[in-house]
Amino acid sequence: MLTFMVIIPVLLAVLLFAFSSNRIAKAAAVFIQAALFVVSVYLVLITRGAEVTTVVGSYDGILGIILRANSLSAVFVLITAFIFLAVSVYSFTYRERKDARTFWFLMFLLEASFIGLFLSGDLFNVFVLLEVSTLVLVILAMYDRKNRSIFHGKVYLLANVVAIQFYLLGLGYLYRITGALDMERVGESLGAMDGQNLILPYALIMTGIAFKSTLIPFLSWTPKVRLYENAPTVVAAVMSGLQAKAALYLFMRFQEMFAPVAAQQFFLIIGIIAGLFGAVMAICQTNIKMILAYHTISQIGLITVGISHGGEHAYIGGLYHAVGHAVFKTALFLCAGIISHSYGTADVHAIRGVMKRMPAVGIAALAAVLGITGAPLFIGSVSKYFIFYYVDSFTKVIVILLGLGTIISFVKFSSVFFGRSDLAGDAFKADKCKMIPVVLMGALCFAGGVFGTRFIYFLFRFPAAVDFWAYVQDAGIVIASMAGGYFIYKYLISGRAILNRIEKINFSFKQICASIGIFLAIMLVMIGYF
Amino acid sequence: MELFSLALFFISLFGLITSKNMVKTVIFLMFMQTSVIMFWLKMGIESTAAPAPPIISDPNMLKDIADIADPLPQALTLTAIIIGFSVTAIIVIMLNHLFRQYGTTEWQEIEEMENKKSC
Amino acid sequence: MTWGVLVLWIISALVIVPERRTYRLIIYFCIFSLITSAAYFLLGSPDVAMAEAAIGVFSTIFFIIYAEKYYGLRENIERDRVRKRFSAKGLIKPFMALLLCAGAFALAVNFIPQAGMDDYLKREYLTRFMTDVGGENAVTAIYLGYRVYDTLFEALILVIAVVAVTHLSYFEQNQASGTSPNEMTTSKIAVLSVRIISPILLAFGVYLILNGHITAGGGFQGGLVLAAFFICRYMVYRIDDIPIGSVIRMEEYFYIGITVITIIVVFLGVAAYVPAALVLFYQNAYLISMNILIGLKVAGGFFALFYRFVSVERR
Repeated sequence: MLTFMVIIPVLLAVLLFAFSSNRIAKAAAVFIQAALFVVSVYLVLITRGAEVTTVVGSYDGILGIILRANSLSAVFVLITAFIFLAVSVYSFTYRERKDARTFWFLMFLLEASFIGLFLSGDLFNVFVLLEVSTLVLVILAMYDRKNRSIFHGKVYLLANVVAIQFYLLGLGYLYRITGALDMERVGESLGAMDGQNLILPYALIMTGIAFKSTLIPFLSWTPKVRLYENAPTVVAAVMSGLQAKAALYLFMRFQEMFAPVAAQQFFLIIGIIAGLFGAVMAICQTNIKMILAYHTISQIGLITVGISHGGEHAYIGGLYHAVGHAVFKTALFLCAGIISHSYGTADVHAIRGVMKRMPAVGIAALAAVLGITGAPLFIGSVSKYFIFYYVDSFTKVIVILLGLGTIISFVKFSSVFFGRSDLAGDAFKADKCKMIPVVLMGALCFAGGVFGTRFIYFLFRFPAAVDFWAYVQDAGIVIASMAGGYFIYKYLISGRAILNRIEKINFSFKQICASIGIFLAIMLVMIGYF
Repeated sequence: MELFSLALFFISLFGLITSKNMVKTVIFLMFMQTSVIMFWLKMGIESTAAPAPPIISDPNMLKDIADIADPLPQALTLTAIIIGFSVTAIIVIMLNHLFRQYGTTEWQEIEEMENKKSC
Repeated sequence: MTWGVLVLWIISALVIVPERRTYRLIIYFCIFSLITSAAYFLLGSPDVAMAEAAIGVFSTIFFIIYAEKYYGLRENIERDRVRKRFSAKGLIKPFMALLLCAGAFALAVNFIPQAGMDDYLKREYLTRFMTDVGGENAVTAIYLGYRVYDTLFEALILVIAVVAVTHLSYFEQNQASGTSPNEMTTSKIAVLSVRIISPILLAFGVYLILNGHITAGGGFQGGLVLAAFFICRYMVYRIDDIPIGSVIRMEEYFYIGITVITIIVVFLGVAAYVPAALVLFYQNAYLISMNILIGLKVAGGFFALFYRFVSVERR
């Protein structure tokens, strides 16, 4: 069954591409996405009891490729199907392109490769699917063929190909010492092995994966973020909501597999760096899409802190934050798309009065903003609660700081909601197909907060309980830092020249390659000698 | 034996860091892919004699498995080669696009023009 | 012998690092690719060696087209830079990079795993592939049998590459401003040699595809050779009205065919219901038909890629 969940979308994509017209392609896209969503709900239900395993081609043992769905991967498949459904409804009327056929062909392949990544149990298959997803994503991001996006797309693709070679080399060592490519079997034989043998494969593989999940400090961020600027809205939403999650999911799988040498502390620090600097960069941006893009990096840092810290509650908090992030970040990107399309600009200083002009979009976006900042009763508050209460005191300070950074950047973002619009004259025409997913996701941000523990139980089968007074205390901290963030932004940050200077920071491809090498060297030294 | 591939891997990393031209970057990227593929193929060959290809026309050959090359890395590297070439083709077509746009394939010149545009 | 080839391999790569002249760059790249292919062959993997040789030829052709177009073959890549005088300051950055790479290399060598090779999978594959998948070539058995799931995605990447190249080529976007194709004279020697070589290429490609399951070769390698055959014909006879759209479409049909056959034969596990007398025939039929489809698809895909590049460059 799992094989068909991946192969049937691919086959349908090629069939639609080869035989259908643009209009049919669009309608079929929505229909197939809905069907996939239903199937993935079914998958979540059946994996609640036991792991579902499929051997491709029913060869015995580990000779063939084995696909596995446990409750975690089923949840990620569900998110993937949900976001692609939302996105296809969103762009149902919007894309007046001539070549919608090609666009949907690529989108389907992207979805299939994500689902494949979540279900794959084979290390080489992961490599193949990573290549497919990167390639498709880059082509989609350059879809409009603007020259700037082609330059950034090229840098991104080159850097990713370099990073994936590190992964492949590490995989070679792993195959040599374990004689297998199946994750479970490799994990078993690694458990019985001398740690000294695992250092090089671990460092090489993690360099590749950390690059994919934008965790390599400073330099792996830029090419990706620059790509958002000119990407179609829908693609930016998928990139931020899902691609980062796919890489993080692999990161978790590999940390689990390499448990004897896994450098939890190292990635905790890396997560903190990513979180803080992502927030700083987000504060300095003026383009609303870029604020969201840098903010994604900051949130990935927070999730990494949660899952690397150790302790079950913090881990679950990190996972739930990943799920929540997929929802609210997609909602925000879609809202940003509607807003910038309607105002004709993406400059945060030029847009005013969204609340008045398009109240539904405004409210949905506000719900997502509240969710992301961890305001009480919204989805972010539950996940941040679990991370916050189950980490040590040093990390607590960091989590508060990260929250503050998020709030400051969203104070900047929220300025688009209020005030008076210059465009008050021409009324905003609401497009139903665009509104439905946005509003639905906004509502989900609220529901995910109010019914947080039930959602966690449904998704991860983890009986988490929220202590009322601790939650109130947490809410107090969030509200205090909201007030603090507002004043800090208003009186300390806003209008400084340094913001402009930081915004212009850019790194060249050579520096990116050098940073990958430095990261590898640091990892080898850290794991090998400490 | 794997020292050779590791050496080429890091030589091409050096090349990627220092090369000033996109054409050279693409060449070094292909070197990197080649070095990884060579690493995969050399794995498990400990004897100095050349191993036999994994084509079994007669079951007696299976008596001494150590003399036959491992078929799995070969199948995997075939996949990796085709993937690598497809990616390279896309990179080259982007290179063409950039050359048409900027009239050069030098990293530094294009980056300068890019930055000027974004300011 | 293998050692000697590998030393040559490293040297041919090192030569490229400081090289700035375009035509030498391309020639060194050719040499490198050739040595790589020889090394693969010596390591007991003729399938990969064949694929690498063909891919090396294709990449070289692409690079030559580019270099010729952009710089002229005799010029330096860094053409408008005034030759700088030697200065110590300019050396700092390369030196730092060298230090980094040497350091990383040393660290990697230091941590090379010492554990022995585990040959469980090798043994299993070699002893069982004849009954499980059929054929005599273990490599073909793996990529068309045990790991056909990967192969589907790999074939898909080629489809994506063709779609992307079609979508992104500059030529289509700026068709209006394009000038008419300039006539390139074709020398008589080229015509004669292509006339001699191309039937051999065709026969060789067909041989590789049809015998992929018994000897070295297979769909990919044969497809590459077939593509080379078509490209030779195209280069010499300069047919300008090739319906490239339908070539691309054909490639997609072949991909659909591959997927459907795989789903029926491998994923649904039909082999279990085949009567014992027919198993050998069934297995061979599966392998040969997959090889034919993959070969045609690869040939179509590579020809489309090449045509796209050339048609971009000629205008």
